[in-house]
Amino acid sequence: MSGVKNKEVRTNPSWTTRFLAVVRYELLWDIRKKKFLGMVIVAFVFATLGLALPVILSNMVGQSVGPNPDYAVSSGAGSLGFFLFALVTAMNSISGEFESGTIVPLLTKPVSRTMVFLGKLFAAFIILFATYVVLFVYTTIGGTIVYGPQNNLQLVPLTLIGNILSTFVWVAIVLAIGSLSKSSLIAALGTFGIFIALFISAPIVSVFSEQAWVLTYLPGSGATGVSGSVSQGQGMVPTKSISTGTDNIAANLINYILYPSMNVTFYKISGFQPGQSPQILYEEPISLVLATSIAVAFTYILAFLLISWYALKRAQVLE
Amino acid sequence: MELAIETSGLTKRYGSLTAVNKLDLKVEPNTIHGFMGPNGAGKTTTIKVLVGLLKPDGGAVKVLGQEVRGDRPDVRLRMGYMPELPKFPKHLKGWELLDIYGEMYGMTTQERKEQIPRLLEMVGLRGRERDLLGKYSKGMQQRLGIAQALLDEPELVILDEPSLGLDPVGMVEVRELVKGIAKEGVTVFISSHLLFEVEQICSHVTIIHRGVSLVSDTLQNVSSKLSGPATLHVEVTKLSEGIVEAVKKLPFVSNLTQEGNTLMIELKTSDDVRPQVSQEITKSGGVIVSMNQKGRTLEEVFMQLVTKSQGG
Repeated sequence: MSGVKNKEVRTNPSWTTRFLAVVRYELLWDIRKKKFLGMVIVAFVFATLGLALPVILSNMVGQSVGPNPDYAVSSGAGSLGFFLFALVTAMNSISGEFESGTIVPLLTKPVSRTMVFLGKLFAAFIILFATYVVLFVYTTIGGTIVYGPQNNLQLVPLTLIGNILSTFVWVAIVLAIGSLSKSSLIAALGTFGIFIALFISAPIVSVFSEQAWVLTYLPGSGATGVSGSVSQGQGMVPTKSISTGTDNIAANLINYILYPSMNVTFYKISGFQPGQSPQILYEEPISLVLATSIAVAFTYILAFLLISWYALKRAQVLE
Repeated sequence: MELAIETSGLTKRYGSLTAVNKLDLKVEPNTIHGFMGPNGAGKTTTIKVLVGLLKPDGGAVKVLGQEVRGDRPDVRLRMGYMPELPKFPKHLKGWELLDIYGEMYGMTTQERKEQIPRLLEMVGLRGRERDLLGKYSKGMQQRLGIAQALLDEPELVILDEPSLGLDPVGMVEVRELVKGIAKEGVTVFISSHLLFEVEQICSHVTIIHRGVSLVSDTLQNVSSKLSGPATLHVEVTKLSEGIVEAVKKLPFVSNLTQEGNTLMIELKTSDDVRPQVSQEITKSGGVIVSMNQKGRTLEEVFMQLVTKSQGG
């Protein structure tokens, strides 16, 4: 065969070429997944509804839509969006290979298991990044058309980074459960169980217990507090609801940049009698809220990815 | 000369079941080595250890002179592997799959452009390379499995049941393909439960049962060693008592029976003694119409070994 000579030269093929081959393999798989395409369509439908509904409702009551210069910078996929995007991107990534048997030809190619893992991860990043960019461009253009000129558009990339970080917490969880169980169903159900448990319990714990701080260290929507302190030299910061947690990194990034001295106060509601005021639990500067959520997100991402990588590295292919 | 595959004391257990038990396997380079055994004998487990999909519980494994311990992409760079009933991502197209796998081997774009059409032609998938793999039949996936195993012109090709799921024409084509690969100087290690397939293409054979190697040698040696002395069937015109007596007296004849005009001569040796027998019959006035020396087929040898191993 003619290639033997060439092969002699190729005793140690480049790491990048092989890594990019794994990325291409995964990307082609991802973009042809029906559930991923379905999720993108659903995201666009929701983004469109978010833009069009206020217009329709305002027209119904005979009013025009007021300007909202922060629409673009404050938009994002939201907790459910992060979870669903993570799920459709990563639930089959490793476990699906084991289930379908495609892991056999893949792991017998001259690529290390670590390279396969990193390639799949990088492909997930690219696919999420590309989807979010398109969604943000769409939302920004739509927001400008519906709500007028948008402020702080230079912060949109930060929102993007924050959203990807939030999504990757769930990606890491899905991958870890999938790699350990080698079952896409268990990966999906397990992650959904964690998501829904935190989604339901977080507001209750946050408002009715004195342990709201715990939520700051869990993945998801975190504890909810209120801003509104008077900041020196910056005037009155508008009162708004601020949530900690890994799902709110983008929002807190923007809050921190716009209102660096903002303080977030966390309350506990003790009862519903008239005149009974909420009990102040603690107060934190937005910088600490943001730093904590980023640190917690990175910790979860690293921990779960490490579990996932180790599970793949040690996996024996029986079937 | 460096062995293509060498295992010593290879052991693999699944819980309390020992799938491969202290297996010593030696595959010489530039041979077609058949790996035979009944279902559950440990063939696929052994192969999975060789390609790094399973970790052995004991023993040592060397492939192309390099020890296989842990994740060894450098060893896999020099070999091609076709799994039993291969499964490929159904979202990819045939061409894309080979192109991506080629990149994983570090092949250049030009090499892939030359090699992929050649392989697709060889396995009979030309014209279907732009179809999604989800639309491929089992036989087509099997053919693609062979193509991807040969992608980077490996020094060693491991084929696990390559004929499984193929129609008779496909099976013949695979056999020709394997012979062709071996002619290029590639070592082929082929697992098969089809004895006639092994008999037709392999130069060496290892038979395993319950994870234990029963025999490993050249195909010829395995047949002659295990089948014992051959039987000579001689058809003679005007068969007389004199001829029978003369043949019986030959030193290498252990037993002789007569069926019509045919003498069935059981020999004490596996050597070719047809000239001496022919000379003796002619000298005794007989005219030989036909003469065949029959050894036992690989199938008979295989059955003998497996039955013996089962204690039958």
